[in-house]
Amino acid sequence: MAEAVQFAAESLAGGRARAARTVLDQVVLPGEELLLPEQEDVEGPGGAGERPLRLNAGTRSRLRVVCGPGLRRCGDRLLVTKCGRLRHKDPGSGSSGGVYWVDSQQKRYVPVKGDHVIGIVTAKSGDIFKVDVGGSEPASLSYLAFEGATKRNRPNVQVGDLIYGQFVVANKDMEPEMVCIDSCGRANGMGVIGHDGLLFKVTLGLIRKLLAPECEIIQEVGKLYPLEIVFGMNGRIWVKAKTIQQTLILANILEACEHMTADQRKQIFARLAEN
Amino acid sequence: MAGLELLSDQGYRVDGRRARELRKIQARMGVFAQADGSAYIEQGNTKALAVVYGVPRGIGGVRSRALPDRALVNCQYSSATFSTGERKRRPHGDRKSCEMGLQLRQTFEAAILTQLHPRSQIDIYVQVLQADGGTYAACVNAATLAVLDAGIPMRDFVCACSAGFVEGTALADLSHVEEAAGGPQLALALLPASGQIALLEMDARLHEDHLEQVLEAAAQAARDVHTLLDHVVRQHVREASILLGD
Repeated sequence: MAEAVQFAAESLAGGRARAARTVLDQVVLPGEELLLPEQEDVEGPGGAGERPLRLNAGTRSRLRVVCGPGLRRCGDRLLVTKCGRLRHKDPGSGSSGGVYWVDSQQKRYVPVKGDHVIGIVTAKSGDIFKVDVGGSEPASLSYLAFEGATKRNRPNVQVGDLIYGQFVVANKDMEPEMVCIDSCGRANGMGVIGHDGLLFKVTLGLIRKLLAPECEIIQEVGKLYPLEIVFGMNGRIWVKAKTIQQTLILANILEACEHMTADQRKQIFARLAEN
Repeated sequence: MAGLELLSDQGYRVDGRRARELRKIQARMGVFAQADGSAYIEQGNTKALAVVYGVPRGIGGVRSRALPDRALVNCQYSSATFSTGERKRRPHGDRKSCEMGLQLRQTFEAAILTQLHPRSQIDIYVQVLQADGGTYAACVNAATLAVLDAGIPMRDFVCACSAGFVEGTALADLSHVEEAAGGPQLALALLPASGQIALLEMDARLHEDHLEQVLEAAAQAARDVHTLLDHVVRQHVREASILLGD
């Protein structure tokens, strides 16, 4: 019986931990283990036994590597917990080793501190609004968290309004809290979103792609019609153009962007620009 | 059926497979647009569909069921009325479905990192469209793909396979004919990277001398299933990222 259990415990993954640097931009799956760069230096080729003699052999200068979404620390290795492509960002300066994360596709949003999201006000209880942001719990928003709001001067927010704000508290143990001002007390574009326009949902990966610094889709859309657009990191986009038909066309294009290749998209834009 | 030999002298089974050979497996992820994660798998003639909702979502209704430090994994198993040879009258809610639901829950609580989402609920619904043996294994494999499609963090894949024992030889991946013949059958769910067993189920009589052989056959078959599912997931991720323009 003991041998049976041991047999089942033998697996291929004993030697499968790979260096994180070799797997960048490749597909990784849950169950894989990755080695951090500092460990490679110890095990890597060093020329027969030549290593600089250090005075304090016990401590080594460690690179501080940040473990992003999709990775967990497991002992001294990184364990992959989601399927996707492994990405790395070098730090601009300092001694930290950068950030590793897994770029995965998801439809449901999990609140993260500092994210800007679009929420729908679902309830007003006393001094707090309950805002649905698409996570597991509604977020709470205090009426004082708007620019220029005081106890006498309450903001004009009704149930059903759209709010663009950011999270100040968002962890797994507490109810998320959001505000519509930044740390200086200015609105900075946040607050209640206007009444017209259309709100629709897309996947989180598409939002991240649209918000990337050089996104061609946004530039092309901007040349098409004059429009107002708000992106929420929780997968919601609010768009408003001059007429209802233009708004619907823009919404359909953005939703379809996920399934089209770049060429198909350019064709559609060219056809719309002609009309 | 008198005279039906499950394993011929030359080592071939009823459907022409060898003792340790698996049936043909085809799988697809992301088959439902409205669910958070979904997957469909065909293992030979057994077809199963898994859907994951609310990833994670707040527990509606009875809040006292919420666990303070982990997420609640809620699995429901349902087999269609047309899935077996004779029409089934109750698709879900009967004893076998409840037991399967509990077994699936136990399996996935071992693999999903539930500490990351306390006081929430993860729903996994599995529907068997055609049952030709190995339904538990097909459900687990389909649910693993659906959970990966939904983006729920998991410790590792969960791969499952069934195994039996006939005339001194261990068989892997039993079909309905082989299950109905009445021999011992074992269902194993494995986390391949670490080799840990998530669930092992057998309710027949088997001599302990043979257990090691049958267990090893099931474990090897589960690892082969893992190789296939690995390929399916990589293909799906590659297609998704190509469209997003990476």
